[in-house]
Amino acid sequence: MKLATYRKKSPWILHYNAGGCNGCDIEILACLAPKYDIERFGMINTGNPKQSDILLVTGPVTKRSRERLVEIYAQMPEPKVVVACGACASTGGVFRGMYNCEGGVDQFIPVDVYVCGCGTRPEQIIDGVVQALAILEQKNKDMEASVRLNTQPIAEDEQLNRRHVAASITPTPTV
Amino acid sequence: MSHTFIAIILIILAPFLGGLVYGLERVIRARMQRRIGPPVLQPFYDFLKLADKRRMVVHSAHAFLGIMHFVSLWYALGVFLLGGDLILVIFLHLLYTALIILAGYSTRSIFSHLGANRTALSIIAYEPVLILIAVSMYMITGSFEASAAFHHPQPLLYKMPLAFVALLLVLPIKLKKSPFDVAEAHQEVTGGVELEFSGIYYEAVYTAKWLDYIFSYTLVYLFAGSNILLGIGLMLFTFIYLNALDNATARVNYKQMLRFSLGVSFSLAFINLLINSLS
Amino acid sequence: MESLLAGLVGLPLAVSLLLLILPRQLAKWMVIAAAIILSILSVFAYANTNSAVGITLPHYINEVVAGADLLLLLFFGWIAIKRKSILVGLLTMLQLGGLVYLLNNMPATAAPQLMVDELSAFMFILINVISGIIAIYSLRYIEEEPCSPFRKKYFLSIIFWFIGAMNLVVCADNLEYFFLFFELTTLASFLLISFRQDAESRANAITALWMNQVGGLAILGAIFFLLRSGSGEASFSNLLALAPAGGLLLPLALLSMAALIKGAQLPFSSWLLGAMVAPTPVSALLHSSTMVKIAPFMILRLSPALKDTPLASAIIALTAFVFIAAAVGALAQDNFKRILAHSTIALLALMIMMGALGTPVTVVASLALMLFHGISKSMLFLNAGILERVFHLKNTSDMDRLGESGPFTALVTTIGFMSLLLPPFGAFIGKWLSIETLGSYAVDARLLGAFTLIAVVCGSAVLTLLYTKVIGLLIARSGEHDRVQFEKTGKTYTGTIYALLALIALSIFGLPLLLTHFFAPVAAAASAQDVTVMIKGWSIFVDTMKLPVLPPLIAFFLLPAAIIAAMFIHFRHVDRTREYMCGEKVNYSFSSFYLTADKATPYAITIGVVLFGALLVAALI
Repeated sequence: MKLATYRKKSPWILHYNAGGCNGCDIEILACLAPKYDIERFGMINTGNPKQSDILLVTGPVTKRSRERLVEIYAQMPEPKVVVACGACASTGGVFRGMYNCEGGVDQFIPVDVYVCGCGTRPEQIIDGVVQALAILEQKNKDMEASVRLNTQPIAEDEQLNRRHVAASITPTPTV
Repeated sequence: MSHTFIAIILIILAPFLGGLVYGLERVIRARMQRRIGPPVLQPFYDFLKLADKRRMVVHSAHAFLGIMHFVSLWYALGVFLLGGDLILVIFLHLLYTALIILAGYSTRSIFSHLGANRTALSIIAYEPVLILIAVSMYMITGSFEASAAFHHPQPLLYKMPLAFVALLLVLPIKLKKSPFDVAEAHQEVTGGVELEFSGIYYEAVYTAKWLDYIFSYTLVYLFAGSNILLGIGLMLFTFIYLNALDNATARVNYKQMLRFSLGVSFSLAFINLLINSLS
Repeated sequence: MESLLAGLVGLPLAVSLLLLILPRQLAKWMVIAAAIILSILSVFAYANTNSAVGITLPHYINEVVAGADLLLLLFFGWIAIKRKSILVGLLTMLQLGGLVYLLNNMPATAAPQLMVDELSAFMFILINVISGIIAIYSLRYIEEEPCSPFRKKYFLSIIFWFIGAMNLVVCADNLEYFFLFFELTTLASFLLISFRQDAESRANAITALWMNQVGGLAILGAIFFLLRSGSGEASFSNLLALAPAGGLLLPLALLSMAALIKGAQLPFSSWLLGAMVAPTPVSALLHSSTMVKIAPFMILRLSPALKDTPLASAIIALTAFVFIAAAVGALAQDNFKRILAHSTIALLALMIMMGALGTPVTVVASLALMLFHGISKSMLFLNAGILERVFHLKNTSDMDRLGESGPFTALVTTIGFMSLLLPPFGAFIGKWLSIETLGSYAVDARLLGAFTLIAVVCGSAVLTLLYTKVIGLLIARSGEHDRVQFEKTGKTYTGTIYALLALIALSIFGLPLLLTHFFAPVAAAASAQDVTVMIKGWSIFVDTMKLPVLPPLIAFFLLPAAIIAAMFIHFRHVDRTREYMCGEKVNYSFSSFYLTADKATPYAITIGVVLFGALLVAALI
């Protein structure tokens, strides 16, 4: 048995609310509670970016939380995956285009899995996280392939290009 | 000779055994909450995963102190299991905790500082009780050596039941279990001193926690003297008790913890010591 | 022996006079030469002492001493009038009355007035080596003091006078002589504390004066009761010889009281805390090698007589209380020097307690603590001076950037604190011996033993917390360093610090040898019983107690060495990241925590007074 197969068995979660209504957060907490028991996959809600693998983001990114989101993402050591939980985190949802909102999470950090719903169901979240684990394993392999992360970064991710797309969107002028 | 041999095996296997205890604990705790819980080997999966993460440190001194914390704890455990001087063991144990506190102070992180302060206070809460227990043992066995307690023909538990209760009351502080887990306080201070460690450097701190389990359960085992069955029974009882307590109680703040520990646990250990010295 | 003693006393006194006359440049070299010669002389004195040697002085010296006594008291009286202190005046009158009465009633004896034994020789080394280093250090320190050139010379002159007086104190046998020397050190400390001549120093100097005068009065009282009991002359050797017969508890109690006051035990601790206003070398001198060390010295001197008496129990109870009260008090301080002062009081309490217990192991522990505490404390105080002069830092909470601006000072201060805390430094061994002895004492002495043990255990835990807190501030840094570059603080500062570092290194690596060849003979002489210290395999046996050598030695590489290495280590091929601040990018500056214990102080003083009263009661019953 290869040691590498165990690597996706211990995903530690960091949960960040970028400015949502708390609906999705309640659902995430429900995942940890006995009924859904996400810990059977070895998941722990760490609340600490430095020891986490999966960043669960809920809510649309508000102007105030934008920099914090990027900072927290930057503090997570690679390999890491981002799961956008709920409609708001994926696209901005009902808050899209509001004066204080910047839209979806993917405008600022690369997102690997989008989970739909307003608010998301625990089953969906679990499904999203399990999909994220597959991506995490792939990233793990990518990392192994590269000799050193510093000199040879992970292969260009298509998701990253969304940044350019995001940059080209001009905000609609307020009336 | 065979005792030394067993001790050496135990010392070498200590991190593995500690990990197993931690894994079992997570399962038991989950079952108590009617959950399935992670696999027993989960801590080792965590261990392997952490080794793969990108290496990030706040600064070298901080990471280095974390590693030395693990090494010196292993050393203290080694001295203990080989039957060394109990007072020395408790001092060493105190000082290895000091290393992680220093690591916490060495960064400019709020939560690290908070965690370090709280860890320092929890030292004040449990260290005097441990020393009193060591002295009570000295009064019965006539020697400060841990080996004297290991080989004592009669279980020490019968002569120092109150000290055992005191130990049970301070163990949650030491192992950072509810209701006395202010030092770690999961989301409240996001892990306290452990916060700034990541990847392979966190591994040292994480494994040190496993060693702490072995250290604590060896302390419990001391009360059984040379009676191995009783020793295992005591350890099992402590194991169930700690997890039940962890599940059943909510966190108290550090003032309540200090008051309880120095008021109740300390008094119990002291009364036991007085009874021993008077009889 | 006589010539060595003459050198040890004459040289500092001669230097003290010459310093006032000679030009500055010459004075500098003289101080350095005198410090080195004194250290060498003290080592010689130790090497040449195999048993107690009585030294009989010519008869006219008695008259000189009596005259000097009177002159000193007149000077105190003059101070009382000048500073309008009724308390000092009253105490001086009482002392004067007592002295005149005693001088008239003192039986003429031909017994030797001075006596040099192993304990005195041990004290010679402690006093001269450490004070010499402090004297050299003060050359530079006093240069930067804003005062007239003459007062700078005057400062150095008093320091040497202090050393001379201390050398006399530890070899006095006759109690009348002892009273004079005791009061001479009081005078020297008074002059040094009031050196800065502002209102605060003057007030604190007066406090130091009257408190120590109470001690002097206690000595006079001891002489009085000793003479009245009709047991012959008033001398330490006579007191010890008569002690087994019993009935001499009152003089013993009074002498112990004098010791406890000199050792700044509660409720008389405020004089030592007030002494902080003086220039830092004064604090270093008072705390490490002179003045307060008279306390454990006197208790050790009396320990064969004190042992197993109710008086010893009273002293143990008092010091146990002081140990924990001072430790908690230290945690309440932010000022660096005040932290050091409180921890001095706590450790002095431990030394006195060990001396009062008087078993071979405890006497060894007391001696070890005395020497190692002296080295560590002088080191820390010299650093406090450097912090004040070079970095303009007085409070610990401002020191969280010291690791970056002054890595060398941060490093040596850390080593100083570690030498009071971690194995295998001598202070750790001392504490270890103390707790193990108290364990057996708790078996014998029941309630008192158990309470003492608790005080020592809790006090040690609090002190550990305190030292960890300060070390934590010293090793803090805001980010990665590329290469540690030591700052330059000046030759004199660095030289003296290196000398003390060498002594600390000696105390680690030479500990087994020091225990067998240095502490054991001294302890045997001081406790008047056989003290066997043997090295067998990997263990040291101190009397019945077994000290394993290997575990503390390995601990050295894990604990102190690790903390020192942490200051220099630089991981390569590792990425750096910011601290977690919940995503914020704000730079926080951290100070440190301290408790507020102001409310407890009056209670502590009250309990101290009650326990002091218990001392006398124990003697009378």
